[in-house]
Amino acid sequence: MKKILAILLALTMIAAIGSTAFAADDVSELPREETLYFAGQQWGAVNSWNIMGTNQNNSMVIANTSGYRSLMFETLFMYNFLNGELTGLLADSYEWNDDLTEVKVVLKDAAKWCDGTPVTSQDVVRTWEVDAEVMNTAGGSYSAFVDSIEAVNDKEFVIYAALNDDGDPVNPLKVNDFLIEVPIAQAAWIDKLVERCGGDTVKILNDPGEDVVWSGPYTKYFCDDQKVVLIRDDNYWGQDASMWGKLPVPKYICHAIYADNPAGELALKAGEVDVCQQFIGNIQDLWLKDDLPISTFYEEAPYGVCLTMPTAWYNMNIPVLEENAALRKAIAMAVDYDTIIANAMTNQSPSFADVPRSLMNPTDGEQALYDHAAVKDLQWVGNDIEGAKALLDEAGIVDSDGDGWREYDGEKISLNAVCPNGWTDWQASMEVVAAAGDKIGVEITTLYPEWDIYQTVFTNPNQTEYAIFMWSPDAAKPSNPWTRVNQFMGSDYIGIENNWSGNWGQYVNEEADALIKEIPLTTDKQDLIDLYTELTEIYLTEVPSFSLMYRPSMFHAVNESVWTNFPTGDDGRNIPPADCTDGYGIAALYDLELVG
Amino acid sequence: MKNTLRQVFHSSKFLTGFLIFAAILLTMWIYPLFNPGNPLEMIGVGTFAQPGTYFSLYDAATTRTETLRLPDADEKRITNLVSDADRAAMIEWFGLMEIDVSEVDATDIDALLDLWLEHYDPSVKIKGMTQARRNFFKRLDKNLRQIRAADTLLVMHQEEEELVEKARITKTDYVNVSDVANVKRLPLGTDNFGRDVLKELVSATGTSIVIGLIAGTVATLIGLTLGLLAGYVGGLADDIIMFITNIFTVIPGFVLLILISYSIGQDQRGASVVAIVIGLTSWTWTARSVRSQVISLRNRDHVNLSKLSGHSLFRIILTDILPYIASYVVMAFILQVSSGILAEAQLSLLGLGPKTTVTPTLGLMMNWAMLYSAHTNGSWWAYFPVILTITLISFSLNLMNTGLDQVFNPTLRD
Repeated sequence: MKKILAILLALTMIAAIGSTAFAADDVSELPREETLYFAGQQWGAVNSWNIMGTNQNNSMVIANTSGYRSLMFETLFMYNFLNGELTGLLADSYEWNDDLTEVKVVLKDAAKWCDGTPVTSQDVVRTWEVDAEVMNTAGGSYSAFVDSIEAVNDKEFVIYAALNDDGDPVNPLKVNDFLIEVPIAQAAWIDKLVERCGGDTVKILNDPGEDVVWSGPYTKYFCDDQKVVLIRDDNYWGQDASMWGKLPVPKYICHAIYADNPAGELALKAGEVDVCQQFIGNIQDLWLKDDLPISTFYEEAPYGVCLTMPTAWYNMNIPVLEENAALRKAIAMAVDYDTIIANAMTNQSPSFADVPRSLMNPTDGEQALYDHAAVKDLQWVGNDIEGAKALLDEAGIVDSDGDGWREYDGEKISLNAVCPNGWTDWQASMEVVAAAGDKIGVEITTLYPEWDIYQTVFTNPNQTEYAIFMWSPDAAKPSNPWTRVNQFMGSDYIGIENNWSGNWGQYVNEEADALIKEIPLTTDKQDLIDLYTELTEIYLTEVPSFSLMYRPSMFHAVNESVWTNFPTGDDGRNIPPADCTDGYGIAALYDLELVG
Repeated sequence: MKNTLRQVFHSSKFLTGFLIFAAILLTMWIYPLFNPGNPLEMIGVGTFAQPGTYFSLYDAATTRTETLRLPDADEKRITNLVSDADRAAMIEWFGLMEIDVSEVDATDIDALLDLWLEHYDPSVKIKGMTQARRNFFKRLDKNLRQIRAADTLLVMHQEEEELVEKARITKTDYVNVSDVANVKRLPLGTDNFGRDVLKELVSATGTSIVIGLIAGTVATLIGLTLGLLAGYVGGLADDIIMFITNIFTVIPGFVLLILISYSIGQDQRGASVVAIVIGLTSWTWTARSVRSQVISLRNRDHVNLSKLSGHSLFRIILTDILPYIASYVVMAFILQVSSGILAEAQLSLLGLGPKTTVTPTLGLMMNWAMLYSAHTNGSWWAYFPVILTITLISFSLNLMNTGLDQVFNPTLRD
């Protein structure tokens, strides 16, 4: 009897193994030569496809990094961070009036929804109405800058900028951001959504949006907690000669959901991923040592286009930091940035000797916006221990009790340098900052809390737990460098709870604030340069924060085992390395070729 | 005592373990004399420099040279620049460009090079060639041009607006490494922060042994005290102590260790705090064994005699019981030290070890090596020596323990 039972058991086990082996999923068998594989965008399973909602966790189709990711939903214009140009997508052209209070936009004739109906001014008007009403991401970001949108006819509409008390527009630059960052939804679908939710804001934000209507070249095909697959819409309007004149090359877009960076990196090395948006340390080893068919936008360091500056912020709620600009500057001067760049960034960043520190990112456009000679004496390249010590001595911050550490008001200065645990490049930077403190007699210890703790503390405007902590200002958009300067020193973000927007150190400077408010209304180039130069002077004297490195907002490494003709720095096409998906970077998808 | 020591050192196992441990201790003491300074100093800018001898190129350029005419120098130089695979790639490129190479001998680098320099143009795009491959040919071209570079290199420095010649370097110039002003030997390379791994390793070994000693002392003291009390006093005291001990035995020690370390918070976690936490979570095993040993001693004649003489509880425990289990306690202590070092390594590997930048420990070295993917990018020197050191320490301690066991345990005695 026992024997029979054992045999039966064995048989069922074999049968079970067999059945799982045969139950292969159709989706796992996407044709390799028609599929473009991604890594580094999507983490975790998709929550929703509702373009009017929030918290969709659907970054292959709903994301905004270096311009909007327009695979499924489209914006009016596409941004190209290489030259700052706006290329028409749903819209053809835009024109500001002289007072910069309203902008007139003309839609493309060919632009259509997936159901064949044309994209009209009514769609844009309705999208903004509901955005502002439910306060989703677009509503939250632009209600302060966009007052209303009115249709002129089916293909023309006017965006009215929000005005301040003096009747001037609050910030026309942010209206330009609106053109490239806000995806347009179909009015008829929005009405359906609002009706289904009974007009309830929370319900609208959390609707899964499975029936959403899109205008872009791709749509959902399959998604679970393992992967997200998009399929090309062969009726896409953009194949009209007034837009691309053809369809994007890959039929499927697939993003497998990886556990962490190393997993995505391994998949890229194995050729299972074509486009990888992840930081890969010593990336040159992939082709120099491992001889893999992997390349980046530029063939030499820094390999990508650096648009942002991960920054260490001083917490102004801590009196010793708030009261001593000398201490702030001394620490910043003593930090060895070359080590940070060589180590944390493995040289994928220009040095501060190449691109002197200011409020600008390293692109030529922004660098031209301040007077380099005027602030030359204020800039520092780092590792200046003697200079830092002299600065502290002069400010009377000295070691009076002979324990090797400096005191302020009779108390030993003891600070911490904080970033989230596991963010290794930032952790390495904080180690270097702590080492600098050691050299100038200011005690700095590193602290790496888990991400969920870190994010609640550093966004709290009243926190005193973190003295020096890391975060990055915005990268590239039409309103930059203004937005970034505002994030460094603007008063807009003082005291607001859940502050994800800017000025994380809560630095207040009325003089700087007045200059920041002036910039959006200044059109004369020289006046702008003067304003930015003055702000740079304040920033480099007061040092409310200091940037540690320059860094791409998106990494762009491609494996050419299957696909080739990705954009590169020297190909003359001017397609930005935005992962083949963001802003004008999506143009890359139309030029891809199969290898061999 | 003398006799015991002689007996102990007669055990070959103990002796081997002792020698290995002594050698480690000696290295920790002597090495910093030769290589002084802060073990955490980031001397290298960049990550994971390979083990080897590094000499300053700047100094070497102006160091006195000897002329050596080595017959295979040119050949070595060319092989270093252009491998056999590179030659095959050149032929492939000629093929793609439809250039006839049937006349050219693939081993004749000069002929290949002439043809290459004549035809190669980096701006030409070959249909179907990937960017990665085009970049490869660009790099190859750079190397190939170096073969034809002039025999003499000029080193210039700038004075005001003018370039002034500082040195001329020819292909036959050789420098004696001992003449170069700055030479740095990095037997184990550098780690992810550009620190000298060997120096860091020596310092970390010291810290880890101290952590082990503190953890071992704490655990042994608690275990011994509770075991002695429970075993000798008995009754209700025994029940209560054993109740607590059993609870601690049932909870997996390592989980407890993780939870305590996590709740202390990183800013409070110095090396000694971590050591004490490890000690506090690993005493149960000692307590139980000491208790059972004491119970068997409790009713011996000499103990009863002491009781009758009216000696106090502590005196009886200290003079009549402790000496009989001393050898056992020493062995337990050695094992506690060994497991304390391992526990620190495990904790640090999980990112729950002592806070960084202050002192290096073996576990932290492994933690950073892992965070920087040393195991996947081939930087073995950042973690393998650490693993080897941990293994050696724990091996030597266990060997000493086994040796002692053989001497003191009557059932194992030869």
